[in-house]
Amino acid sequence: MKLFEYQAKEAFSEAGVPVPEGRLVQNADEARAVADSLGCPCVLKSQVLRGGRGKAGLIQFAENAAEAGRKAAALFASPHGVRKILVERAVAVERELYLSLTLDPVQAVALFIACAEGGVEIEQLAAEQPEKIVTVPVDLDWGLMPHHVRELTFGLQLSGDTAKAVGDIAGKLYRVFRANGAELAEINPLFITKDGGAVAGDGKLVIDDNMDGVRGKYPLAPEYFATQTEYEAALEGIPYLQFDGDIALMCAGAGLTTTVFDLIHYAGGTVANYLEFGGPNYTKAVEAMRLCLKNPCKVLLVVTFGTIARADVMANGLVEAIRVLRPSAPIVTCIRGTNEEEAFATLRAAGLDPLYETEDAVRRAVDIAAGRIA
Amino acid sequence: MSVFIDRDTTVEVQGATGREGSYWLKHMKEMGTNVVFGVTPGKEGQDVEGVPLFHSVRRGMREHPAELAMLFVPPRFTKDAVFETLDAGIKKIVTIAEGIPLHELIQIRKAALSSGAMVIGGNTSGIISPGKGMAGCIPYWIERVYKKGNIGIMTRSGSLTNEVTAEVVKGGFGISTLIGVGGDSIPGTRFAELLPQYEQDPETKALVIIGELGGSMEEEVAEAMEAKIFTKPLVAFIGGRTAPEGKRMGHAGAIVSGGKGSVQGKVAALEKAGGLTAAKPSQVGGLLKTALA
Repeated sequence: MKLFEYQAKEAFSEAGVPVPEGRLVQNADEARAVADSLGCPCVLKSQVLRGGRGKAGLIQFAENAAEAGRKAAALFASPHGVRKILVERAVAVERELYLSLTLDPVQAVALFIACAEGGVEIEQLAAEQPEKIVTVPVDLDWGLMPHHVRELTFGLQLSGDTAKAVGDIAGKLYRVFRANGAELAEINPLFITKDGGAVAGDGKLVIDDNMDGVRGKYPLAPEYFATQTEYEAALEGIPYLQFDGDIALMCAGAGLTTTVFDLIHYAGGTVANYLEFGGPNYTKAVEAMRLCLKNPCKVLLVVTFGTIARADVMANGLVEAIRVLRPSAPIVTCIRGTNEEEAFATLRAAGLDPLYETEDAVRRAVDIAAGRIA
Repeated sequence: MSVFIDRDTTVEVQGATGREGSYWLKHMKEMGTNVVFGVTPGKEGQDVEGVPLFHSVRRGMREHPAELAMLFVPPRFTKDAVFETLDAGIKKIVTIAEGIPLHELIQIRKAALSSGAMVIGGNTSGIISPGKGMAGCIPYWIERVYKKGNIGIMTRSGSLTNEVTAEVVKGGFGISTLIGVGGDSIPGTRFAELLPQYEQDPETKALVIIGELGGSMEEEVAEAMEAKIFTKPLVAFIGGRTAPEGKRMGHAGAIVSGGKGSVQGKVAALEKAGGLTAAKPSQVGGLLKTALA
């Protein structure tokens, strides 16, 4: 789960990483008051999970408190769903670096990635100027050692107090990374201040929900999700993505659902939502259909080919969901796998016309959505 | 002689008395898998499905040496179980658990690499050489999917594997060995690392790869083909061609970020290396005929 900047900075700050002085606000009046007490110039940073906030105008500078209030009001009124703004005192910056920690799935190590030029898209830099990027692998079982830090700071051509400050931050970032089982801990930009110190200008932290004790620190909340339905699906533990097309997918198996998503597009159809109720969710047909029906979809498409997620159990669940929810949209089914003969009998008895081939089912759903058949 | 698991491969099962473990242990035996012991701490002296149980892997190994470990262990206990297995000297491990913490997946893979072992999974349904041996939860009795034959299959997926393999069988072929490396972003063993075994396996005439968006495993296969590490015909189906960038679609490993991991990039790399790629599962059988013609 990706955290908001203010949460990442809280975690970094708790570990001792210097961050700009700042406070979180929820309306323009608060923004004005905080700007006044922090002192200006200050920076207004919209707390949204999308990338490219600067380019989208979601980060604004204010020369005085009145300007901070006005600009905050505009940000809260923008169509980007800004609910919180981090107001920070501006830092006197000498230069900017890039510093992150991630996992390398091939070498099976943690990997520091750093660059003497910060504030840029690291993927773009990696593609265009790979020689500018410093990488330092760290074996998780060894832990971070002094030679790793030296490799990093010499690689960045730092010296004196700046090398010490950046090395210190690297150590603290590693602790945050490990404590949260993180996929990514990133400081971009890492400000080098005029007095030679270092301050985290931004913070990104992607934590692992599967790690003990991490999920409890950051409980699920609507603000992490683009739509209310995505939030409700997450509470159920059902993978769900919102789209705005015609066909609601109620499929099982991540790879198969993704493939059905492709096949619909190849056949000229559009997807209302991606929903996968396989694996541990294969008995949750009622909850799954309830989520699908929150969309104004024209047809429900059920495709499964399960093993442990038995076809007969999924067919029974689907029939029960129809009984409970009485969907007005037509339903196309292609439920196969373990005990599929029983599944077909169950679906026929419920008045459905079960199909056997995924591409036939996709074609029928697309035809129904287009109004070509009923 | 088949890849990874054969008729003679001795197998031990951890988590043998759990609901999943005992159900699939029974099926593994029914298919003919050579299961020599099970592990459930506290149940040594008992047996399950005629298989003797031991408190630990090392205790079982003293009486019944095993070459392959099948782990039906929940995700939070998987790291300990894998390390226990490595400590006992077993070099082939299959773990089905979904939701193993990422940092533990890194430690598991690192430990396997350091000790010359292979960990298949997590988040997989396992491995099968039809008619010979199975480690995992694979419904070998569905004949239109798990038919014996000469096509090797490597996959990141479960249900999609059934879908694509049914097309392989429909095309008149069958499976030599199917290996599910799992849908996690950090699989214990990567596609390319299994290619040498498929290259040497006389029962594998061609290989089908069932991939998806995200990561670099398909690109690594293309590199191995360019380097002539793998020279047999290869057909790939890769799901997620129309997935939007930046959204995690399906498996944890299935995300395109910064333009990397796209299906288009994977398809281009595999085709350049001489592989054939299917846009839809239904094309796989036909492409295999072309590749083997």
